[in-house]
Amino acid sequence: MLTTLIRRELLDNLMTFRFAAALFIMLLLIVANTAVLIEDYERRLADYNTAVKTHQQKLREKKNYMAGLAEEIKLARPPNPLSIFNVGLDKRLGNSVSAAHDLVPTLWDAFTHGADNPLFNIFTAIDIVFIFEVVLSLMALIFAYDAIAGEHERGTLRLVLTNSIRRGYILLAKYISAMLCLLVPLVMSLLLALILLTTATAVALSTDDFLRIGGIVLASLAYLSVFYLIGMLISAATRRTSTALIVSMFAWGFLVLVYPNVILVATDPPEDPRARRDTAFEQIEQLWTEFDRERLKFLHNDLVPGEEPDLGIHGYGSVGADFNSSRRTLRYYYWISIQYSEVGPRGETLVPHAQNYFRFLVPLMIKTAEQTWHVRDAALKDIYGQQAAVDRMWLNLSPIGMYDAATQAWAGTDWGSIQDFFVAARQWRRALVNYLYDTEVYAAREWFLSDKAEADWSTLPPFSYQRSGIAVNAQRAVPHLFLLVLTNFVLFMAIFLVFVRSEV
Amino acid sequence: MIWHIATREIYENLNSLRFGLTTLLLLALMLTNAVVHLREHPKRMQKYHDAVAESLNSLRDRADNLYELVRRGPGRLYKTPSSLHFCAEGGEAFLPNVVHGGSGDWGWASGLRSIWRLKYPTVTPNVDNIEPDITKVDWGFIVGYVLSLIALLFTFDAIAGERESGTLRLMLANAIPRHTVLLGKFLGALISLLIPFTLATLMNLLVISMSRSVQLTAGEWGRLGIIFIIAILYVCLFLALGLLVSARVQRSAVSLVILLLTWVGLVVFMPNTLASIASGFSSPMSSDEYRKRRKEIGSELRKKYDTYDAEQPERRRRELAEYVTEEAQLQERLNQEHLAQQLEQVREARSITRISPVAMVQHLFEAFAGTGFERHRQFLQNVRPYARQFQKFVIETDRHDAESLHVVGVREGMSQKKVAMEAIPKFKDTLDLGRDFNTAAMDLLLLVLFLIVLLLGAYLAFVRVEI
Repeated sequence: MLTTLIRRELLDNLMTFRFAAALFIMLLLIVANTAVLIEDYERRLADYNTAVKTHQQKLREKKNYMAGLAEEIKLARPPNPLSIFNVGLDKRLGNSVSAAHDLVPTLWDAFTHGADNPLFNIFTAIDIVFIFEVVLSLMALIFAYDAIAGEHERGTLRLVLTNSIRRGYILLAKYISAMLCLLVPLVMSLLLALILLTTATAVALSTDDFLRIGGIVLASLAYLSVFYLIGMLISAATRRTSTALIVSMFAWGFLVLVYPNVILVATDPPEDPRARRDTAFEQIEQLWTEFDRERLKFLHNDLVPGEEPDLGIHGYGSVGADFNSSRRTLRYYYWISIQYSEVGPRGETLVPHAQNYFRFLVPLMIKTAEQTWHVRDAALKDIYGQQAAVDRMWLNLSPIGMYDAATQAWAGTDWGSIQDFFVAARQWRRALVNYLYDTEVYAAREWFLSDKAEADWSTLPPFSYQRSGIAVNAQRAVPHLFLLVLTNFVLFMAIFLVFVRSEV
Repeated sequence: MIWHIATREIYENLNSLRFGLTTLLLLALMLTNAVVHLREHPKRMQKYHDAVAESLNSLRDRADNLYELVRRGPGRLYKTPSSLHFCAEGGEAFLPNVVHGGSGDWGWASGLRSIWRLKYPTVTPNVDNIEPDITKVDWGFIVGYVLSLIALLFTFDAIAGERESGTLRLMLANAIPRHTVLLGKFLGALISLLIPFTLATLMNLLVISMSRSVQLTAGEWGRLGIIFIIAILYVCLFLALGLLVSARVQRSAVSLVILLLTWVGLVVFMPNTLASIASGFSSPMSSDEYRKRRKEIGSELRKKYDTYDAEQPERRRRELAEYVTEEAQLQERLNQEHLAQQLEQVREARSITRISPVAMVQHLFEAFAGTGFERHRQFLQNVRPYARQFQKFVIETDRHDAESLHVVGVREGMSQKKVAMEAIPKFKDTLDLGRDFNTAAMDLLLLVLFLIVLLLGAYLAFVRVEI
């Protein structure tokens, strides 16, 4: 019985003009945009490769360790090929970060390589998921508005119900057949996108990536179904096609255009986190004051009396050292710059003294930097992270928000996945620190001078960043996907109740 | 007769569900817009005034020495925020609101410092912004996206619906010319759409003008009037599109599907897709190349002026002054070129997006609200003559001092007298409606052209159609 019903509905839907039109516009949009998106990805990949190369080259130009570590260690984040599906935060957030023994990297130290025309940001980028968000939801509503109201008006509903068919079956048949119809444009456009992706040489997709795309399809299905059910609910409740149509369109406008854009500005912004920032900054400042006190104590007690800013080495060059800080990002550090091309005879006698100084200073710097990070991490999470989390929660109240979050998680362009990069950067820094401890290069002459021996950058631990495994993606996507499915379920129950109790 | 049909349409619409929903939606959006503006605008103005005051203070600090003025310039130059920001946000977050000079880098001879030149900073507000991405709800959004969709919902069944119910045949059986019917329908839809829109706009303006923190001048009210008229033109365009499709198609459901998909293409996707495609047409100087060329200029100049002769301190001083002046000029020219190429790329992309009416209307709103890209270009155009004026002022002041050696660019060569703070020209960022109108003329023309074509199309379609 169910199959008969489904077949009838399918034939009804497939032969319509709306189906052909929807398919056409979907394919057109996907092809045009995927081509642009692939080009954009290729450009970002090229930027990334140049950035990595120049970073290495600049590092090799530095002849002593201190200068190189202070200025030229930059870790770059490769662009995510799945950002073609949902760009999320991948393109927007900083994609290069400095990391060194005296700086534990966070997102707030990041900057961008590449970004050639920052003015171009006034145009918003479109990704495949955005097309789905807009077109699929609209299509679902166009298919659904007359599902029940139409039959009601034409009187066929009464005919169908005179047979001994359970009302739930009719609903189910309508739902399944419409979803099958709607799947066609979805799958066809995805196939087209995939064909374009695989023909592009720069985009290399792994098996995991295909699974991730599968996850995106799953989320798209759930999203599509939410809108179909919304349309059906309206259709069942209003019982007139013209009313159902108008209500559906307004519902679409509200859910897709209005709610996601209005809700974040309409909800009150939190009070200025200045107090939190100030306390954290003071704490950090204190850590570095303590650092300075110990540093001065050491200089006071060592063999060469007094503190000499140039470490007593006289030669041709310049020396500088000072504290530097930024209150906005809670960054605080101590920089030393020594540029000697030549050390005089009196300076030569003082080199061991300077080596001794650094043997003491660098571990202290490492320790203070790590202590700073603990304060900083917590504070930055409070100041920026909390607000973003609240905003995401508000967005998650609409289907478009859930869908966006789920696909971002699958694509690996969500906040969590971007954080993975910084976690990797911090792990690399840990390896660097271990390397420094093991080799004790900070007590060597080439730490700050490059006249006799030069820094050997090739023995530094290599940095590599792998996107997190698919299990992690799935774990991040599941809550949002669950919400979507739950919404589906609730909507279906609501339709069932409305339809069963309605008189024909 | 037109009025007869129009009033019939209006009465029908006033009682309809879509009218109620439209009123509700527009009111909610417009009120949100007003509330957000009242919350944000005073903050924005405060920030601007603070920044300008700080810039003037730092200018005062170095005003007593002419050399310091040459070296560090007039300070940061800020763009005045528009008080019509609520009409069009214009992607201002991505446009810098300041031009600063900056005494570049250290000179290479001892005690020599490079002098002030114009530098154009960039803003990348998103580098550490983890908030979700949203579109700002300004008038441009409300009119461009929401109102255009509603306009289609008001007209999709205007003719197709009557044809389905058979009333069209009845109406045409009377001796009414077809264009009268069409015009009546058009006016009816327009007026019934304008009622909620005007109501919502008035509420919005009422809330904004009642607040004490935001003051609108007479000129700004005029601009608001122009913006309102543009909005009406834009709505007419979509009403005409709706009538065109409705007249051509037999069933209203089909008409709606066509209209919605056209809308999605024209409004949602076209502007951004076209902009992305257009971005590939030209490639401005990359930041790496810019840095490379900057370095080259520095090293070439050093080679040119590296003729140290201890015997002739007089000549040497003159040479060093020439060096710093030339360096500043060349670097400024490079900065200018870099900026011009970036601006050109964006301008090109924007002119291509004009195919989409929503881009047109947003450009127009920006032009009359004094925000966005064109406004940014105006600001940059204001800055340049001011920089020249400032440099001229310094040279003039130096010339008036008889004791000075008139070697502008090095400390010893310049007037040591105090400079009166009042005499220094100050930067004033102005907004010129005449110039705005020029930038907007093209968009306005296109909009009207679009409208005429669509109206004619609707007329032809309706006249030739068989009932």
